Amino acid sequence: MTKLRVNGKEVGVEMTKEEFGKVKDLLKREPNITELGMFDVMWSEHCSYKSSRPKLRLFENAEENYDYVLAGPGQDAGVINIGDGYALAFRIESHNHPSAIEPYHGAATGIGGIIRDILCMGARPIALLDPLRFGLLKDNPHSQWLFKYVVKGIADYGNCTGIPTIGGEVEFDESFESNCLVNVACIGLGTIEDFKHAPSRAYNPGDYVILMGGSTGRDGIHGVTFASRTLTEMSEADRPAVQIGDPFTKKMIIEATLEAIKTGYVRGLKDLGGGGLTCATSELTGDGNTGANIDLNKVFTREPGMNSYEIMLSESQERMAFIVKPEGLETVLEVFRKYEMNHAVIGKTDDSKILKVFDGESIVVNIPSKALSESPTFIRQEKEPSYLHKLLNQNTPKLNLQLDDIFYKLIASENICSKEWIYRQYDHEVGVRSVVKCGDGDSGILRIIGTDKFIAASVGVNSKHCFLDPYHGAKGGLVEQCGNIIANGAKPMAMVNCCNFGNPEIAESFWYFSRSVEGMNDFCRKLRIAIVGGNVSFYNEDEVKKIAIKATPMIMIVGLIEGEKNIITMPFKNVGNDILIIGETKAELGGSEYYSVIYNLEGGVPPKVDEEKIHVIWDFLFKLYENDLVLANHDVDKGGFIITIAEMCFKNKWGANLDLTDYHTNGLRDDELLFSESVGRFIIEVNSKNTDKILKLAKDFHINVKKIGVVIPESKLSIKGLRIDDFTLDLEKMKKLYDSTIPDLMDI
Amino acid sequence: MSIKIAVIQFPAANCDLDAIHVLNGVMGVEAQLVWHNHFKEVKYDGVVLPGGFSFGDYLRAGIIAAHSPAIDETRVMLKDGRPVIGICNGFQILTEAQFLPGALLQNESLKFVCKWINIKVENNQTAFTNKMKTGDVLDIPVAHGEGRYFTDNLKELKENNQIVFRYSSRNGEYGDNANPNGSMDNIAGVCNLDQNCIGLMPHPERASEPILSPFKTSHGKLFFESMIEFIKRRLS
Repeated sequence: MTKLRVNGKEVGVEMTKEEFGKVKDLLKREPNITELGMFDVMWSEHCSYKSSRPKLRLFENAEENYDYVLAGPGQDAGVINIGDGYALAFRIESHNHPSAIEPYHGAATGIGGIIRDILCMGARPIALLDPLRFGLLKDNPHSQWLFKYVVKGIADYGNCTGIPTIGGEVEFDESFESNCLVNVACIGLGTIEDFKHAPSRAYNPGDYVILMGGSTGRDGIHGVTFASRTLTEMSEADRPAVQIGDPFTKKMIIEATLEAIKTGYVRGLKDLGGGGLTCATSELTGDGNTGANIDLNKVFTREPGMNSYEIMLSESQERMAFIVKPEGLETVLEVFRKYEMNHAVIGKTDDSKILKVFDGESIVVNIPSKALSESPTFIRQEKEPSYLHKLLNQNTPKLNLQLDDIFYKLIASENICSKEWIYRQYDHEVGVRSVVKCGDGDSGILRIIGTDKFIAASVGVNSKHCFLDPYHGAKGGLVEQCGNIIANGAKPMAMVNCCNFGNPEIAESFWYFSRSVEGMNDFCRKLRIAIVGGNVSFYNEDEVKKIAIKATPMIMIVGLIEGEKNIITMPFKNVGNDILIIGETKAELGGSEYYSVIYNLEGGVPPKVDEEKIHVIWDFLFKLYENDLVLANHDVDKGGFIITIAEMCFKNKWGANLDLTDYHTNGLRDDELLFSESVGRFIIEVNSKNTDKILKLAKDFHINVKKIGVVIPESKLSIKGLRIDDFTLDLEKMKKLYDSTIPDLMDI
Repeated sequence: MSIKIAVIQFPAANCDLDAIHVLNGVMGVEAQLVWHNHFKEVKYDGVVLPGGFSFGDYLRAGIIAAHSPAIDETRVMLKDGRPVIGICNGFQILTEAQFLPGALLQNESLKFVCKWINIKVENNQTAFTNKMKTGDVLDIPVAHGEGRYFTDNLKELKENNQIVFRYSSRNGEYGDNANPNGSMDNIAGVCNLDQNCIGLMPHPERASEPILSPFKTSHGKLFFESMIEFIKRRLS
């Protein structure tokens, strides 16, 4: 907090004295209190990306470099052309701080905000995905409370608005205990025409500015500045900075907005999220190279007596701003009347390039419309944390347990066990597009009705891996998310990311951000994946415990499947089929669940990505798909490939006889082979008569593919070919452990 | 003879477009989305009250919609013998409007539940089950927070043959494991005395195409085939 003297009064702001100087330079005078508040909000880290912008410039321009990208970073959402006249809009963002203080409404309004972003592109929201992070649940009522109400907040809001939640990811780790992460992603579908109708700018003078939706109240004032500092014990007092969601109004806004766009009279569209009316009006006019006159007396408020500062900075939910052609005003207002949505014409655009806000007769804001987006940037210091060297040199402890006991412990661990408790609370079927059921695939898959196209989406990253090596951790996240949709038959097209890190003013925290961005950038350029959007959330630290969260560059990948027959699912399809592993297992136990669950160890060398090899593996898989050779596929993730195989057995209560002799040839320890989380591996099920053909093809591709077993009708996994004696896992027992962990902790 | 079906769009109904998709796109009949305040019964041969969260389910699920003018229009249709189905929130609306007996309470788990379950046909004489056989087990999903059926008049319901569906296992066994919400007597759907109005918590419109079903079945279609058959018989 900085203390400034403005017009003879002392005021507290988040901006620095240097930034205040720049405000005065831009205005050529001192700002009044309302103007100062507007600059303070728009120049906050959350709105201006002032710390991250210099680094994010590394990403290539998606619109220029990919012909199917219609909108890239900088817009409300990325948009890609998926053919047949359809476009997909998608975006991910964080709602961490509000959720850490008030989990139910924090999460709910996170969903509300991301839905509006998609709507702004003219698309109908058709899917939600929510990656989450909490402290460990066991013996921790605070983590359980956050977890329970975040999930309920997402469910109540998403279910009511009729948007299926088709995917997500969750990790539990003590670094997220008080600063949980709630990232929300939304996918929208529209025609390419719809998309053209709804630019998020007011480029035409003489158009009406209409505010529609919820009323403006005193909630959420300075929500974004709250998001741009570290949570402390005092943050509980910031609870009024958390907005209250109203999914019913949101559903009405969705329908009214889409119907208004269809009239053809809407020329621009912007949601009121962070920064409220300030952000919406300044971005519409600033980006459109126009100006506007806004009359605050026209804004419908929730309570009387709100002053200009409060109205301009309120972050009350469920509001949209429309720019409407004069001749279409009545038609658009008629749509809003049908849905009984509050609305008001609050102003008109002009060619002055100045944003003027009136309170009755008196002018309360008079600033160049581009000024608010011209925040200064900061070049932050970065430094590799000194503790990493020691952590990376962690040796694998001596194996001190029976292997079967380790598996039973792992399958029951919070990060590996079934997440059914969560997804059962989400309506994942509404919209009649969800063609693969939760638990049957690695990604969420939706049909595009009227075509034979399907989209697949997956979101997540491994925070433990990123903590030890953010560069390879971020790349690993990309491999993992791509792997998830490829396992289901989809070709990756584009990615959006949500960077969750600590305080950027601390060099070690900024280093994590910086290295993650470099990892994502290098990987996406090499593998030709378009980065079409991103969001940065800094200041995720716990001041009381003095720790930052584990670095979490959350990644969402969206891809396309052409033809229903090309959808592949995870469960084994028939007894007697062969089980093959694709990709090499390396001695990469760093950051593994094996280390943390069995030894309570944080350290070791985490998996590294080999882009060249990964690409060949993906090409190989698509070659198999083309020839209908793959019956089931599951990407290998946390806990290693035996866990992967167990998950493939569960649905039909089958099992597998595994012989690892041929695969166990790299001189690895048994536990390294079984529990490494080397990225880019898949387990596939194939008809045994095709096995030789597939293995021969793998030789041509120069990749490591081995037959390691067969599907059997009994619910057990017998494993041989290790240095130690053969052993058998009881899959019924494993399934029971897998299913019961979260319900046992939560349903009491 | 062209059949015309209305899908009533209450504010925040959210399975309205899904019902339209199935009726128009899968069944090939003419169905129209009608805003609740604009609905006039004379134009239609049947009505679907779709799932969703009408009026945000504020106050109590279905109660505000039960006071919409659309309900008065629906009453006329019912008296006239035309078919009316309430799916999920539509079922809640029909019980709140007292067109159907009983009430739907919060799930026993206190949580929303979305999953594929099974229901067994108990009465195949209604406007929406005439293409089914008694004892048939259907694959169909549920998605609701308030679906626990309750009545203080179970005996009468049984005597009048008003229980249309009960939750069962895929093998047709009743039991607590097959009951997703704690409904009394595993009741999933009921009808009025005239059997032209039914309400159920599961979603037939989500189970009408093999591609959406984990079992590649399309049992939901039977509801709409029955409805069309019923309308045809009435009109002929």
